[in-house]
Amino acid sequence: MTITATRPLTRERAAGRPPRRRARWPLAALLAVLSLLTVAPFLAMFVVALSPAGRPTLPAQWPESLTLDNLTAVLSASGFVEWTVNSIVYSVVSVVIILLTASMAGYAFAKKRFPGRDAMFWTFLATMMVPFQATLIPTFVLVNSLDGVDTFWGLIVPTLANSQAVFLMRQFIMGLPDELFDAAKVDGASELRVYLTIVVPLTKPIMATLGVFVFLWHWNDFLWPLVVGQSDATRTLTVGLAGLRTEEMQLTMLMSSATISVIPCLLVFFLLQRYLVNSIAMTGFK
Amino acid sequence: MRHRLRDPVTGLLFVLPVLVLFLIFRIFPSLGAVGMSLTNWNVSGDWSLIGADNYARLFEDVNFWRSLRVTLVYAAVYVPLTLVVALGTALLLNRVVFMRGLFRGMLFLPYVTSFVLAGVLWRWIYEFDGLINGLIGKLDLGPVAFLEEASLVLPALAVVSVWKGFGYSMLILLAGLKSIPASYLEAATVDGAGSWQKFRRITLPLLKPTLFFVLIIETISAFQVFDTIYVMTGGGPARASYTLIYGIYDHGFRFFDFGYAATWGVVLFAIVLVVSLIQRRFLDRGNT
Repeated sequence: MTITATRPLTRERAAGRPPRRRARWPLAALLAVLSLLTVAPFLAMFVVALSPAGRPTLPAQWPESLTLDNLTAVLSASGFVEWTVNSIVYSVVSVVIILLTASMAGYAFAKKRFPGRDAMFWTFLATMMVPFQATLIPTFVLVNSLDGVDTFWGLIVPTLANSQAVFLMRQFIMGLPDELFDAAKVDGASELRVYLTIVVPLTKPIMATLGVFVFLWHWNDFLWPLVVGQSDATRTLTVGLAGLRTEEMQLTMLMSSATISVIPCLLVFFLLQRYLVNSIAMTGFK
Repeated sequence: MRHRLRDPVTGLLFVLPVLVLFLIFRIFPSLGAVGMSLTNWNVSGDWSLIGADNYARLFEDVNFWRSLRVTLVYAAVYVPLTLVVALGTALLLNRVVFMRGLFRGMLFLPYVTSFVLAGVLWRWIYEFDGLINGLIGKLDLGPVAFLEEASLVLPALAVVSVWKGFGYSMLILLAGLKSIPASYLEAATVDGAGSWQKFRRITLPLLKPTLFFVLIIETISAFQVFDTIYVMTGGGPARASYTLIYGIYDHGFRFFDFGYAATWGVVLFAIVLVVSLIQRRFLDRGNT
């Protein structure tokens, strides 16, 4: 261990100075303060959401008691539950279809030979360079001409063309040994069987990661749902939340709505944090 | 031999769903954006070709130049700020062992939430009776109208985006820091290098590729800011936070001037492309 070998040396050099261990405490304290500042807006949101309605609260003063009344009131208000259901549909359906189509395409791009494969793949990647906002207007006009505005398919289908997902699946499947696929074919397995019994089980970890990201992208998505979801029937939670103003509702209600909207993100965060952190570090996924 | 012959068809079949989706909803609209920018397409769906008129109008549009300036100023505040915060927290996380997992999680938490939520929370934080004015009020300062002051609104919005997004760059930079061999730093310590010298001479040069990656990603996201502006300022006060994307949205969905809005989109794409190409050139030069 090089560390133990060099330690006595550095001790000698640093003679007269305080040991390095103690020198790190100010850094830990700084890190603690920055971490607390980062989560402070969430803590303030929770406190206000749980404060009794109609009384002055943060920042003027801390609430004297806490209550769940605001949260239950928000959940019984018209629209809010509908928006939540719409957000769930938008996110879950997108996750399922993107995982399915991206893993199929990723498998073909990684392990199949067919005419135009590489040209097609690089075209997919090139579309990543075009920001979605630059194509917002033509995409909307297209969906509008197909009567897709204010429908679920109009909300969901245009967001399913996800080049990051295809790219990630392809890179992962390329790393799987060819022998697996050859052996299955020698045994006479059909293509569908190869996909179901080899590709799907072996890509489970990357599918889980991708699924989490796609869920968060869609749950947090705003611009496309804003222009397509024009009535409560298809409006998502982010769009609904963006329309709530303190001029029309009490701050306690607004913060309760915000709290409910962030619960799925927090669940994903607490259950899968290690997963998220590792995959960002490894893949640069955003 | 037989399965090799079957491959072209099955390969295409597996790609087919994605291919159809991309052709219809990515590639066609990308070309369509250029096409629409040459028309006077409006809400009724009527259109005729008007050549480069939209571009001539755009380049004479005071609001376009103003929005370009707003976007550049915003990026000039956001990008350095987010790099400093992300690098600072990554360096701290790399040094501190005590409760590292907890702190990393807390710093990363805003990243998993939405920009709309960030906008709702910070709109309240910045208000006259919000958290910040409540705190500085106790020091007999303020109140400060962060979102109503033309000179303060862009830095105020940039701070919100930094808070919401720095966790991503922090994780990327932390992974970059972890890949620097400990023996380099130990050797420097043995040679008597101080913390600053080690950072300046070893950590920073070896972290350069990672820093450039983060720089490109964050610059592009600076050009795409929209959600927080929609929630917090609506482009105001007096268009002081009216960015390029806000212009696309405004012309498309408030004035329903689709042809002209598409033109803003094409120009946005051109600008993002040029900026990332310039940065990539610097990146290549930095590596050789």
